[in-house]
This record gives sequence, C-alpha cells and structure tokens, in this order.
Amino acid sequence: MSPSQPLPPRENTLFKRILKCYEQKQYKNGLKFAKQILCNPKFSEHGETLAMKGLTLSCLGRKEDAFEHVRRGLRNDLKSHVCWHVYGLLQRSEKKYEEAIKCYRNALKLDKDNIQILRDLSLLQIQMRDLEGYKDTRYQLLVLRPTQRASWIGYAMAFHLIKDYETALKILEEFRKTQVMVKPFDYEHSELLLYQAMVMKEAGMYDELLMHLDTFEPQIVDKLYISETRAELNLLLENYATAEALYLELLGRNPENWAYYEGFEKSRRPSTEEERLAVYRERAEKTPRAHAPKRLPLNFTTGETFTQLIDRFLRQALHKGIPPLFVTLRKLYCERWKVETIENLVLGYVESMKSCSKFNPADDDSVLEPPTVLLWAYAFLAQHYDYLGNTAKALEYVNTAIEHTPTLIELYVIKTKIYKHAGNVEEAVRCLDEAQSLDTADRYTNSKCAKYMLRANMIKEAEEMCAKFTREGVSAVDNLNEMQCMWFETESMRAYQRLGKWGEALKKCHEVDRHFTEIIEDQFDFHTYCMRKMTLRTYVGLLRLEDILRQHPFYFVSARCAINVYLRLHDKPMTDSEDNENTSSENLDPSELKKLKNKQRKEKKKAQQEKLKQKALQEKKEQHNKAKQAEEVEGPKEEELVPEKLARVSAHVIASNILYYVYRVP
Amino acid sequence: MVSHCPRGGRIDLGDVTPHNIKQLKRLNQVIFPVSYNDKFYKDVLEAGELAKLAFYNDIVVGAVCCRIDVNEKSRKLYIMTLGCLAPYRRLGQKMLEHVFKICDKDGNIDSIFLHVQINNDQAIDFYKRFTFEIKETKEHYYKRIEPADAYVLEKTLRQDDTGKENSAVVANQKEVAPPSSTSLS
Repeated sequence: MSPSQPLPPRENTLFKRILKCYEQKQYKNGLKFAKQILCNPKFSEHGETLAMKGLTLSCLGRKEDAFEHVRRGLRNDLKSHVCWHVYGLLQRSEKKYEEAIKCYRNALKLDKDNIQILRDLSLLQIQMRDLEGYKDTRYQLLVLRPTQRASWIGYAMAFHLIKDYETALKILEEFRKTQVMVKPFDYEHSELLLYQAMVMKEAGMYDELLMHLDTFEPQIVDKLYISETRAELNLLLENYATAEALYLELLGRNPENWAYYEGFEKSRRPSTEEERLAVYRERAEKTPRAHAPKRLPLNFTTGETFTQLIDRFLRQALHKGIPPLFVTLRKLYCERWKVETIENLVLGYVESMKSCSKFNPADDDSVLEPPTVLLWAYAFLAQHYDYLGNTAKALEYVNTAIEHTPTLIELYVIKTKIYKHAGNVEEAVRCLDEAQSLDTADRYTNSKCAKYMLRANMIKEAEEMCAKFTREGVSAVDNLNEMQCMWFETESMRAYQRLGKWGEALKKCHEVDRHFTEIIEDQFDFHTYCMRKMTLRTYVGLLRLEDILRQHPFYFVSARCAINVYLRLHDKPMTDSEDNENTSSENLDPSELKKLKNKQRKEKKKAQQEKLKQKALQEKKEQHNKAKQAEEVEGPKEEELVPEKLARVSAHVIASNILYYVYRVP
Repeated sequence: MVSHCPRGGRIDLGDVTPHNIKQLKRLNQVIFPVSYNDKFYKDVLEAGELAKLAFYNDIVVGAVCCRIDVNEKSRKLYIMTLGCLAPYRRLGQKMLEHVFKICDKDGNIDSIFLHVQINNDQAIDFYKRFTFEIKETKEHYYKRIEPADAYVLEKTLRQDDTGKENSAVVANQKEVAPPSSTSLS
C-alpha cells in the first residue's frame, strides 16, 4: 500500500485481488480488477495499480504496453516500493540486470525489510556476481528469516565465494548444530556435510577435513566421496601406509580408474622400474580381466620387458577385435623405439596369420586364430602408417583390409582419416559417405560425414546429411541452432569464410555467441533451485563453470572468425551491387555471363520459394503451437540475424563488434 | 543365438533392416558373380526370418535370403542367396542350420531347393554334405556368366508320410578346411 496514494477500502480490496491474481497467474482477471480501479476518475492515475497492470500485461506478452504502464505508475508514485519492485521485475525479464538491481535498491530504500524484494535482489546479485552485495543481502535475509535453512546456507555460501573460508565454515557449523533430527539416508543433510567438506578442502584444512569425515561418516551417503577424499588427503599428508590401504579399497571398487592406480603407485613409492611393474602385476593377478593394469605399464617399461608386455597386449586386443586399439596405444608413439617395436610385432603377426593363422609360426598349433585377427591387424597398420605420415603404405593396408572384409565400416572411417591427413578433402568425403550409407542408423558416422562435407565447403550437402537425423518439419540448420549444436555452426562458419560469404559467416559467429549468452542466462533459475534441493557442491561448480564459460574452444573459434571477417570487411567493404558468387565473372564473355546470371537468378528464385515454403510450414506449426499453449512468458525476442545486413556495416560497428568479441573472454 | 567356433570367434545371426541393407548389397556384390535388382532387396526387407545377416565377432560377413514357393502340389523353401566372405567360410553351416530351423518351425514345408552353377564344385559338395541331391539341370539358367547352366539341388523334408526330421543330419558334419572360392546359389 502506497503511503502517498492510499486507497479507500473498496479499491484496496480490489488492489489486493490484483496481487493475488498475479500470483495465481490469472492475468485476465487481474486486468479486470485493475480496470475497475482505474475507471474511477479519482484513481485513474493511481501509481501502484498502473504498475500492477503493467506487470500483468508483461506476463501476457504485451511488452510495450507493460513498460508504458509501469513507467507511468512509477512517475506518479515515486515513493512506492511496489512500483520500484515491479519496474525491477520488468527490467529483469528484459535481461537488463544492472537496471533491475538499481530498481530493487530503490524499492528497499522505501521498505527495507521486504523479503520478496530482498530475495529478488539477491538472485540478481549472484547472477551478476556482485559478491559483496550478495553477502549483504543474504545477511539481511538471515536476520529476517533465521528459521529458514536457505538463509543460513546462502549466507555461508556468500563468504565461501569471496574466499573467506573461516567465516563460511563457522556459519555452516552453527547451522549444522541446529539440525538435531537427522533421518537415516537424509540426502540433503549429507550434502550439507559434504559442502562443509568442500569448503574445508579449499581452505587447505586437511586434518580437520579427515576428522570431519570420520565424525560424520554415518550421515554421509556419498560413500565414494569419502573413500576418494580420504585416500587423496592421506597421500597429500604423506601417510603412505594409510593411503595405500585406501587406494587398494578403491581399486577393488573400480579396477579401471587410472587415477586410483596413480595414487596407489605413489603411496607405494617404488624406486625402480621393476618395482613399479610389480605393483601392476599384482593388480593384474587380482583383477585379471581389468584393462588398466595391462595398459599402464606400457607407459614406463623399457627394453625386453616392454616388448613382452606389448606383445601380449596386442595379441589379446587383436584376438578380441577391439576397434580403438590404435587410439589406445597412440600415446606411446612419442618414443621412436616403441614405435619400431610395435611395427615389427604387428608386421610379424600379419605374415604369420597369412601363412598359418597364428600370431607366430612357433606358436602351438592347437589354437588357431580367427580371420578377424588379420583384419584388425591390417586396420591397425593402416592407422599406424597414417600417423607416421606414410600415406601410400597406409592406403595399401586399408585397401587390403577392405578387400578382406568390405562390410566393416570402421575401415572406411580409417580411410577417410588417411585422405584427410594427406589433404584430399573430397576423397575423404567420398569414403565417409560410403561409411555412413552402410549403416544409416549410426548418427556418429552421419555427423562425421556432415563435418567433412563442411570442411570440403559442401554446405548444402552437409545440411541434407544432418537432416537425416534432425527433427521433422524444421530445417536442419534451424534445429541444430536450437539444439546449440556448435560443432556444426563453427564448421559452417569456417566454410562460409573460406567461400568469402561474409554475411553468412558472421551470422553463424553471432549465433554461437548467443548460445554462450543463453547458457549464462540459464543459470538464473538454479540459484533458488539448488538451494532448495541442497545440491550445493554441484551448484558452486556450476557458478565456477559459468565464470569461465567463454574460455571454451568453440567461443574462441567463432570470435577469431568474426574478428577476421570484420577486419576483412573493414579493409574491403562490400558494395551494394557486389555479389559474392560473381567474383569469377570478370573472366567470362558476355553470353556466358548472361547464362551465369540467368542461372543465378533462377537459383535465387528457387531458394526464395523454398524459403517461403519453409516459412509457411513454420508459421503453421507456430500457430498450431500457440493455440495449444497456455499464456506463457517469453523473454525478449532475439533480433533476427540477416546475413546481407551483417556484412554491410560501418567501420564504427565493425570496431565495436571486434571489441565485443575480445572483451567477453573471461 | 551365440555359438562358438573352434577358432574362438562368436557367430550371431541378425535381421536385415532398411538401415543396414547396403551391407547386404555389398556382400552379394563381392560374393556372387550375379547381380540382384532393387526388387530383390525390397522383397528381402519383408522376408522376416527368411533373410538374415551372419555376424562373426560382430562383423557382417555373410547372409542368407530365402523365400517360400507355393503351388497346388507342394510348398517349398527356395534359397535365393547363401554365402559369406572368403576368409570366413565356416559360417555356411550356421546359416544352413538356421534355414533348417525355420522349416522345422513351419512344419509345412515339403523340401528345400536352390540353384548352383555347374562348375561350383565346392558349393555342390557343401550341400551334398547336408543330403541335398541334384534333381535336374537347367540349361542357360544364367544370362551373363559362363558356364550358363545350373544344377537344381533339392533336399526333401517330407513325403506323404511323416518324413524324416533334418536335425539329425547336422550331427554328421566333418571338419573340412574351408574352400577359398565364393559360393553360389
């Protein structure tokens, strides 16, 4: 209720009804009540009613009306915290977060203990990473609502985020002590304890952390965390015997986790190669089917030991026929002598298999190897020679393999890679197209084929390839954009750049940038949700990820592309009559030029018709969806990216765009 | 249906689907000197259990495609194609056993028959091992290969009386080294 514009009882009741309608999403009714108040000439300019009407309108999607009403209401009643609050809500829905924060602060000046406003402000502050502000707001919330769990946790988290670990832990401990009734398997309480553990770990308080885990183990449900952390910390604190026992337990749980082997080895502190190997031999005996104890010793063994181990490893793998054998061993290829050893062994297998179906002629005759051993040996050698840059030999082996078994799809993928490494993109596309046609249910080969097509600048074909798996009724490009499929967009932008289609390239760059913006904005709902669900560790992880989001390679690719394209446009702006495809038309004689222009006109018309058709389809779908949908609030509609417009910009816009891309990198 | 070959390989049979049909086409291209048209492959997709891919260690290496021929006198199963890639010749037996199982299950099939090019000794020997007999010779059966004649091999499953079951036949197989040329049907 506004002190400067009080309402008589009848209108007051109506006003309260408007608020209720807003909360219950009954917007039409809310508008009706607002109308009743505003119809009365005495209250036609009542600030708060206008503001609430505006808010209701914004929920119905009528943004311009909404803003008009809210601004009018605010002008009429600057001392109303309701008006400021509503204005803040509107600004937030328009993603104008800085403005929204200002509005909330003004609202708080007028009603400093308003819980709702404080909550909204705290969300904005954490979204904008105003950590000091967040801390203050959370303090006020704690004072006002000391019985609510979220108040304590939020307050503690504020200190954690500004790295004041001691205070954070003090608050958390105070809160934990109030939790007297802990049910068995209480996940939320367990997460609280583990959040405390997280803060302790970051503060470097390892001994306290170990004690904490010991004390509260019965209440913590994430047993794996306890085991792993104990092992890690004991190793850090150099309690080697304890660490060894703990890692042993972990290896019993999961004998394929390389981190556990690393920890186990460190806690054993072997001093020679034999001792190191002994560690793994032991484990291999205990868990004979585990892959890791057989693979890891290959990293550090030498000489005859290495040869024996790799021989056994290769034989097992070829016998089983595991496709990623080369990939598993690729890390060893940094050492020349290891490469030679492997090469000699596998060449030996091939010769032996061809003559007597054994890995080695000296082997026992009773066990003959299946023909697939020869096949996978060929495949391995193809990849081996490809890695070493010997294209001819690589092709020889892959073609031999294909002749042996033309139905093995992996062979065609290997062949594709060989061509790619040799620089022949067209042939690579042909091979991969063959591969994907043999199994049209495999989205991996389909996507890889699309990617290679883009590398070969075959953009249309790539879209058609992707369309085999994207949603029906929508163009593949649109669907992939909706799904934030950035590999496709980055490859497309590079292709456009190579083709000199600057507008299209820039469109893709901006689209990728928008994805990143979206991902950052999407975290907004998680601030309340995670606090409620007590998934605190992952929540902090989310905040930290969002902080460095634009360090992702996809962003760098698109930023670099955008900057390069803008610089090029600055040096050589596009004119109105310039047509991207006509760069070679200067060399044609008049009749050929006419033919070319005719052809282009026809193609353009066809493309436009296609576009109209798609648009009509799309609009039909949208109408259909709208009819079904209940009233839904949508954020501000993104400005459509039109390639022609993007490419024809002034120097000033170019400069600002370049700076935009550069400064967004965290 | 996993069974183990003495060489340590797993054999499985799988369905032919619109997604993997090109692998069948590739196989037939490589194994047989005859080429099959689109209608053939269209029919294969509707053949159900009568068309199967043979997998060795999870790789498609062979296939068998049959159809059922009915006339007023009899109901016969015709093997249109049965073959596998050269390095994996052992699978022929597995695929033929599958065909026998189908006949068993159906219960109403009088005989199984197929065509073999007259010079394809290995194929003829293979089928004879399963008590197929040469019933007649069709001259100029093949249009574009030499010799153009084909034998009709047939295995009777039942006469007017109850007739013998064929599962007993399977037990009598000897281990023979796999032939290295392609098999025809």
